[in-house]
Amino acid sequence: MKEEFTARMLRIHFGEDDRWQGKPMHEAIIAKCKELGIAEAIVFRGIEGYGSGTRIRRSSHWSFSKDAPIQLSIIDTEEQIAKLTPHLDAMIEEGLVATSTVEVIRYSRAAEKGSE
Amino acid sequence: MLQPGKAVKVTIYLSDGATHHGVPLYSSLLDFLFYRGVAGATVTKGIAGFGADHHMHAAHLVEISDKLPIKIEFIETREKVEAILGKLEELAGTGLIEMQETTVAKPAQVSKPKQPTIPAHLKIEGKAQMMRIYLSEEDRWKDKPLYRALVEAMRANDLAGVTVYRGILGYGAHRRMNKDNPLVSTHNRSIMLSAIDTAEKLRAFLPLVDQMVAEGLVVFSDVDIIKFAYRALDAEPSRAPASSESSGD
Repeated sequence: MKEEFTARMLRIHFGEDDRWQGKPMHEAIIAKCKELGIAEAIVFRGIEGYGSGTRIRRSSHWSFSKDAPIQLSIIDTEEQIAKLTPHLDAMIEEGLVATSTVEVIRYSRAAEKGSE
Repeated sequence: MLQPGKAVKVTIYLSDGATHHGVPLYSSLLDFLFYRGVAGATVTKGIAGFGADHHMHAAHLVEISDKLPIKIEFIETREKVEAILGKLEELAGTGLIEMQETTVAKPAQVSKPKQPTIPAHLKIEGKAQMMRIYLSEEDRWKDKPLYRALVEAMRANDLAGVTVYRGILGYGAHRRMNKDNPLVSTHNRSIMLSAIDTAEKLRAFLPLVDQMVAEGLVVFSDVDIIKFAYRALDAEPSRAPASSESSGD
């Protein structure tokens, strides 16, 4: 099945060390997305970068510090994203959220639900 | 710079064991020629030979000989050769130096990137589209991972560039929660492909995506691109399919 629609994309940037109520921030945000039924959410770990704090984030093999830059990318319709943003406002203390309007094509195999 | 026409070919015959200030003589000589700006020089090692002393030098397994014959050759203009010959004779010591008239049919060309080193890159700005495809690492197309098949198909269709990202956590259209856990070997991680090209080229590629992607999400966004391309690199066959674009979105 192929559906086409206009959607919003959020890209949230923060550090891997950032936490929300004891949990890693990216896991907390993904859990919230799941709870709200957001269509697509994916977390990427960068190898080096810096953000609003201007301190270089880098994941190193030589130390246990894992403060790598994290980018979370979330895609859904305008309404769904509107449901999520108040939660993000509450959770993210330091970070950057970039939004853009995107055209989406979704391919799905409706019959095979719950396989895997 | 060597020009086509008359030149001199100089050959120096040495023994491998010869040293100069503690380094092999041939390497000293090569350095000398290099810093004197000689157009090019080649050192070859013989497998057997004899010299003025009439000792046979050969490579035997039983006695590892360090006295194999060495030959250094270079071609230069007569003026240049005469200017360095004195020092060369001194350096060569007991070795033989031979000179012969030769004709340069075609001089070697200095590889192009050397000349425009500083302002070499080209900045191209313009409107383009970014196509992101979200799928699972375990999705397959025929006998290979789907993301790899897509990259190959994109390259075959001359899309400007594509990069594959592996997510550390995520879920989507058909994927359950994919978590990158180092203790569990999972091949079910989230994958995102990001390709940038003009809207027309991406749309022209879409029928292939339709065929290849059974489940997944394709996302289009408008981007302003700033592309830095090395003019000199354009002449060389590009080896890497990796994208060189940086998107402004």
